[in-house]
Amino acid sequence: MSTATQSEKGTGKTHVEMLHEAQLRKARDFRRNVSLSWGILFLILVYMFSGQSFLGLNTIQLDFDFIRKNLSFIAGGLGQTLLVSFLSITLATILALLAALGRLSKFPPFYALSTFYVSLIRGTPLYLQIFFFFLALPQVGIVLTGLIAGVIALGLNYGAYMSEIFRAGLESVGRGQREAAVALGMTPMQTMQRVILPQALRFAIPPIGNDFIAMTKDSALVSATGFVHEVMWRAIRVGRSQFKGLEALVMAALFYWVMTIILTYFQGIIEARLAKGDR
Amino acid sequence: MAPIVKVSNLDKYFSLLHVLKDVSIEIQPREVVCLIGRSGSGKSTLLRCINFLEDPSRGTIEVDGIQVQVKNGTTREHRPQIHEIRLKTGMVFQEFNLFPHMTVLENVIEGPVTVKGMNRQEAVALGEENLDSVGMLFKKDEYPNRLSGGQKQRVAIARALTMQPRVMLFDEPTSALDPELIGEVLNVMKKVAKDGMTMLVVTHEMGFAREVADRVLVMADGEIVEAAKPETLFSKPKDPRTKALIDRYRTGGG
Repeated sequence: MSTATQSEKGTGKTHVEMLHEAQLRKARDFRRNVSLSWGILFLILVYMFSGQSFLGLNTIQLDFDFIRKNLSFIAGGLGQTLLVSFLSITLATILALLAALGRLSKFPPFYALSTFYVSLIRGTPLYLQIFFFFLALPQVGIVLTGLIAGVIALGLNYGAYMSEIFRAGLESVGRGQREAAVALGMTPMQTMQRVILPQALRFAIPPIGNDFIAMTKDSALVSATGFVHEVMWRAIRVGRSQFKGLEALVMAALFYWVMTIILTYFQGIIEARLAKGDR
Repeated sequence: MAPIVKVSNLDKYFSLLHVLKDVSIEIQPREVVCLIGRSGSGKSTLLRCINFLEDPSRGTIEVDGIQVQVKNGTTREHRPQIHEIRLKTGMVFQEFNLFPHMTVLENVIEGPVTVKGMNRQEAVALGEENLDSVGMLFKKDEYPNRLSGGQKQRVAIARALTMQPRVMLFDEPTSALDPELIGEVLNVMKKVAKDGMTMLVVTHEMGFAREVADRVLVMADGEIVEAAKPETLFSKPKDPRTKALIDRYRTGGG
């Protein structure tokens, strides 16, 4: 921006201060221009669904009557979506931690169990895993509700991927930390509990948050069981029955998007707090 | 007087590398012993074998009456004795190794509370006393990352002292410090020595060794090549390797 150099003359500021302010201004301008561009892109997106005609180009016409009528029905799935995500991420976190400990273990069966689990889960589609727990297990006499099958599948799946996060977290704690604990006379268990894990967890919290956000969207796959009435299931249901798939999916997309933005915002706050802390 | 630390016929291999060769040393109670030598001579490994941060390949370690004899590199069956020895030895590392997620005071009381089961008030009182003696009480609620290297090392010394060890092991405690911060740590170590602590110090600080040590051991190629009182050792070194070492520090500004 050309206004950047205009005001400082005769204000008695040093060269360094002026340079610093110019830098701050540059960063501020950048942020403002990004926000502005976001706004424009959003307006374009809204316009594309406005039903208006411009220069002979028709935009998409939505049935707002349908949207109004079904808004609360689809929104009613948010609780289930968050419930599935929350239960799954909890299960995934526990599994990931165990798998990471196994991966770093010198005890062969534990190491093997961990790598076997990760390989099997990462080698098959999440979609298949959800159906496996829901449709395949009943054949051997294990009948799970859609919710439980979904949570187990999502938890197992994310746990396998997240084990890498915990492995990195555990490995990020330097050898010296373990040695200091051992020199104080701590047992391996105490060393893990008091020294290694707290530091590894701190390292792992931001990526766990990221995975939770991703999970809220992958939880839509659970709708395929037909028995978890979360956002996606509801959108498909009303969309199909009234031939309004477009409106229903646009609504669902907006719900997911807004939810992601809100969660990302909180994620940012947590991350900032951790960064400011005591490392 | 019976020695408080006795290392007998200690051998240590890293894979095929023979880093300690039949080393034997004895340290008397209240004695300050400095262990000097070029890097790679095995002096840190010797120190770390005493509290079993490294497993000896062969040999006997005895600390304050607790004896562990290692025959073929495994220490598994000696776990209770090793634990005893670790309680009797305080360790100070080159890289401080303070726990970054705990405040200074929490660092210092962690050992007594978690390992010894000391009650918290008692540990805090003891910890604060030791922090005071290293001049770090005023930072007791800070996290380690807010401290300078010298301050961190003084806290690390207080942490080791709060375990009330019989022997303090120092592994190059000033080697990771900026030159202007070395003095404050050495002063604390002098104070600990004056208070009557038995100390084994691996160091490159010849000035400290000359001033504080009762005895200086020189290591080269995995062996103790010379052991003498500092005034004798520094003025009339016998072994050519000792002579080379001392000359190097003299000319190298050390």
